[in-house]
Amino acid sequence: MNLAGWSAGAVATLFAGGAAVITALYLLKMRRRAVEVPFAALWQRVTRESDARRIWKRLRRLVSWLVQLLILAAIALALGDPRPDVWLREPATVAIVVDLSASMGGPSDGGGRTGGGAGGGAGGGAGGEAGDSALDPSRLDAALARARAEIAALGPSDRALVIAAGPEVSVLSALGRDHSALLRGLDGLAPAPGEADLGRALALARNAVDGQPGPRILLLTDGAVDSAGAKAVRACAEGPLPCSVARFQGPAANLAITAFAARRYPQDREKVEVLAEIVNLGDAEAAVLLEVQADGLGIGRREVTLGPGESSRQILGELDAARARLEARLIAPEGSPRGHLGPAEDDVAFAVIPPLRPLEVALATDGTNLFVEAALLTLDDHVHLSGVPIADANADHPAIAAADVVFYDPGANPLPSPLPSKDMVLFDPWRFDGSPSPIAKVRDVARPFLTEQLKDHPILEHVVVKDVNIRRGTILEAAPGDEVLIRSLGEPIAVVRRGTQGSVVAFGFDLRESDMPLRTAFPVLISNLIDDFERATPGFVAAIPVGARRPIAVAELGLATAGLTEVEVFGPEPGVSSKAPVQEGVIRVRATRPGILRLRAVDGPNPGAEVSLAVNQASAAASDLHDRLGDLPPAAAAEAAPSPAPLSQGPLWTLLVLLAAGVVALEWASYHRRWTV
Amino acid sequence: MGVISSLFGKAAPSPETGGDGELFDEAFLARLELLQVVARRVFRGRTRAERKSRKVGSGLEFADHREYSPGDDIRNLDWNVLMRLGQTLIRLYEEDEDLPIRIAVDVSASMCSRGGRKLRYAQQVAAALAYVGLANLDRVGITCMSGQIHSSLPAVRGKGRIFRVFDFLKASERGGPTDLRAACKRIAAESAQPGLTVVISDFYDLDGAFDGLNLLRFRKHEPIAIQVLDPVECRPEMTGLRGDVRLIDCEGDGETDVTITPATLRAYTAAHERFCDALAQACRSRGVPYFRAEIDVPFDELVLRMFRLGGLLR
Repeated sequence: MNLAGWSAGAVATLFAGGAAVITALYLLKMRRRAVEVPFAALWQRVTRESDARRIWKRLRRLVSWLVQLLILAAIALALGDPRPDVWLREPATVAIVVDLSASMGGPSDGGGRTGGGAGGGAGGGAGGEAGDSALDPSRLDAALARARAEIAALGPSDRALVIAAGPEVSVLSALGRDHSALLRGLDGLAPAPGEADLGRALALARNAVDGQPGPRILLLTDGAVDSAGAKAVRACAEGPLPCSVARFQGPAANLAITAFAARRYPQDREKVEVLAEIVNLGDAEAAVLLEVQADGLGIGRREVTLGPGESSRQILGELDAARARLEARLIAPEGSPRGHLGPAEDDVAFAVIPPLRPLEVALATDGTNLFVEAALLTLDDHVHLSGVPIADANADHPAIAAADVVFYDPGANPLPSPLPSKDMVLFDPWRFDGSPSPIAKVRDVARPFLTEQLKDHPILEHVVVKDVNIRRGTILEAAPGDEVLIRSLGEPIAVVRRGTQGSVVAFGFDLRESDMPLRTAFPVLISNLIDDFERATPGFVAAIPVGARRPIAVAELGLATAGLTEVEVFGPEPGVSSKAPVQEGVIRVRATRPGILRLRAVDGPNPGAEVSLAVNQASAAASDLHDRLGDLPPAAAAEAAPSPAPLSQGPLWTLLVLLAAGVVALEWASYHRRWTV
Repeated sequence: MGVISSLFGKAAPSPETGGDGELFDEAFLARLELLQVVARRVFRGRTRAERKSRKVGSGLEFADHREYSPGDDIRNLDWNVLMRLGQTLIRLYEEDEDLPIRIAVDVSASMCSRGGRKLRYAQQVAAALAYVGLANLDRVGITCMSGQIHSSLPAVRGKGRIFRVFDFLKASERGGPTDLRAACKRIAAESAQPGLTVVISDFYDLDGAFDGLNLLRFRKHEPIAIQVLDPVECRPEMTGLRGDVRLIDCEGDGETDVTITPATLRAYTAAHERFCDALAQACRSRGVPYFRAEIDVPFDELVLRMFRLGGLLR
């Protein structure tokens, strides 16, 4: 037994001094308070006691004195902090790093997770596993058990801190000896979507324990880390500080949604088309039901069977969706093996259907042909038309620059130069030589016959042009990659050229010199052109992945940026909000959970305007449950959890103080019951 | 302010009211004048007064005849008998005399405890009884005693002497141990003739509380016991006394180390009650009127109601 607190001499001095004071007080207590009474003889008769009782009376005074000395001795000894020899060893400083990546939600070797997974609440499709919500221990559960065992094994002079390594790194409990504080830090931990930032977490652990007595780093992970994480772990294991890794592995079967997006049909705004990418990250073929929900109501479902490592993009079209928010879930089909869906976080994805803003269309014409304008005006609900004189309709004209699509109908005028680099429709671009048309001319032709058309092309859907009469035309030169919509005796007279800057559709004849505008197919053709351009227009950011902060242009979300300085971000959890400053039209948003974020403009031209933004895990690497750490140095393998110290909560002095308090309580109770004096 | 209250002035307030003007107002004194101290026996008086005596002489009520002797007052000759029978007989009448009343007030240290509240109460009772006696032309003497006779006021007569009584009570010496036996023995010895002897005391004399009264009985006195008690001393639970204390007898009769507990207090209360009951029983068994006067009982109620109910006054 050793004294870790006060020295033996100091303890003895304290006890001696205290005992002297107690004895003095005891002797003072012997002097009784004098009370004058008028009838002492009667008092004497009443209080007359037997001799035996007098002896006990004296004895209990002695007992009281001894009890007080016992209390003093317990307190003095507690200040000395006595400790058994077996507890004495070199102090250690342990940094416990807990991997909170999404893969830690996977089942541990103790058993697999239920196959219901995220589909448990998705309606009847979940089948028999939908109701099986009991979860086997996850890898994180096993890691937390190991962390608790490690904390319980800390000696009185050992210190530890707990670091959570999720997409962001946080210290759950600061470096200290208080076991309860360390254990409190482990409460309520859950896997975070996305990959763990092990590099920062291990660097933080190194900085925390470096220079401390007995430094040691313990990483609790499942090994399913990304390459950066694997590199950081290897660097830690080979570093100067002792770094051990405890792996908690389990079945690697997992199916995940890695992409999910939706958009409306321009011509039918009540319907949407969704795209979902599903990946089978397990080692065996797996079947899964993909269900798309709008506000909890299933609007589409498809069963997919994927081989090991296979990914599949599923497009579900013509879905009825009155709402702007969609949710995709993976549901285990009936009879599927238990736990083959893996962690639930990657079995669900969210999407926001982008609002269909009007397409800016500019019509460059000389005003002699109203058929194109009339056809465009029929699409007034999703086309915003502006007219530009053909002479001024070069790329620098503001209306041309602001337009999404430009229709050039020059008639008897030459095409302006330069032409904009965006979606264009050119009618008769080569009436004059030296045309800036990107599609070259082969030769002019009189009375061309439209003999062939690309029937399956969406631009010519429901359009027949074979018997259109044309007075004069131009044979166009189709480059590789171009699509020839219409041919005249085998030669291209209408060509589509796709490019990164936009698509160009060129018709080698003037509408004025044909009867095509008189055909009922003409407005359909114009509508198909608009629809094709809209479909080809890249959508704005409708979803961001969880994890680090992402820059997002608020204009792409549909918020007006003029004067907008701050955006309030709500969700995905209810009641959670934060404010993000707008800098040069860009905000930085960090999401830690999949779901839907609501962004509300605080100021600007439309204060209070709200848009939605989906957050998805969307990372095949984060969903992969396979161990990618590989072989580490033998010294990096963590040993089994140590056995706890004999007393988990500090040294013996707490017991001594408790003993003193107990004796004081006993003395107090007995005093009032007159057992002692 | 009445005359009795003037005895004590503001230094002797009522134990309950704390004032002194109401208890002894003129109406109260008027009612006292209507009262009379009752003696169960007929005592020999010294002077003529309003009480029957064993003497026959010049009273108003016919008692007997005797033969005429020379020198008898011829006015007492019964002329009717002389004329009818020819015998000379003298008419004898019962003679009314005064009643010797001795009021013995205990002024021992036990009566002076707790600020002397008991003693003041006892003095008030004594003064009231003295006033009643003086108002009825009785001879009233006061004795202040403890274990000995401190001082005695010789018997006085007439209401005008009440102020002498007051002065005597006010100036009486106080203190000393209670020894009723010795005090009563001394009173009996100093009394020239027996009479009504009112002993006002707390009777805190464990061995001789009744012996003194009994001794008076044997000396042909008619003793009356008025035990003045302080409720706080009777029931010490009220004091909240607790713990280890040293009890010191205020009369100097030693010290006692006691651990006061609620049980101890309850035991003392019961023992005190038994002591008082034993005294009362002893008095009753020997025909000695006994009154228990707790000082929280209003003084006028004690005098005007309890003494009348007990037969001390009428």
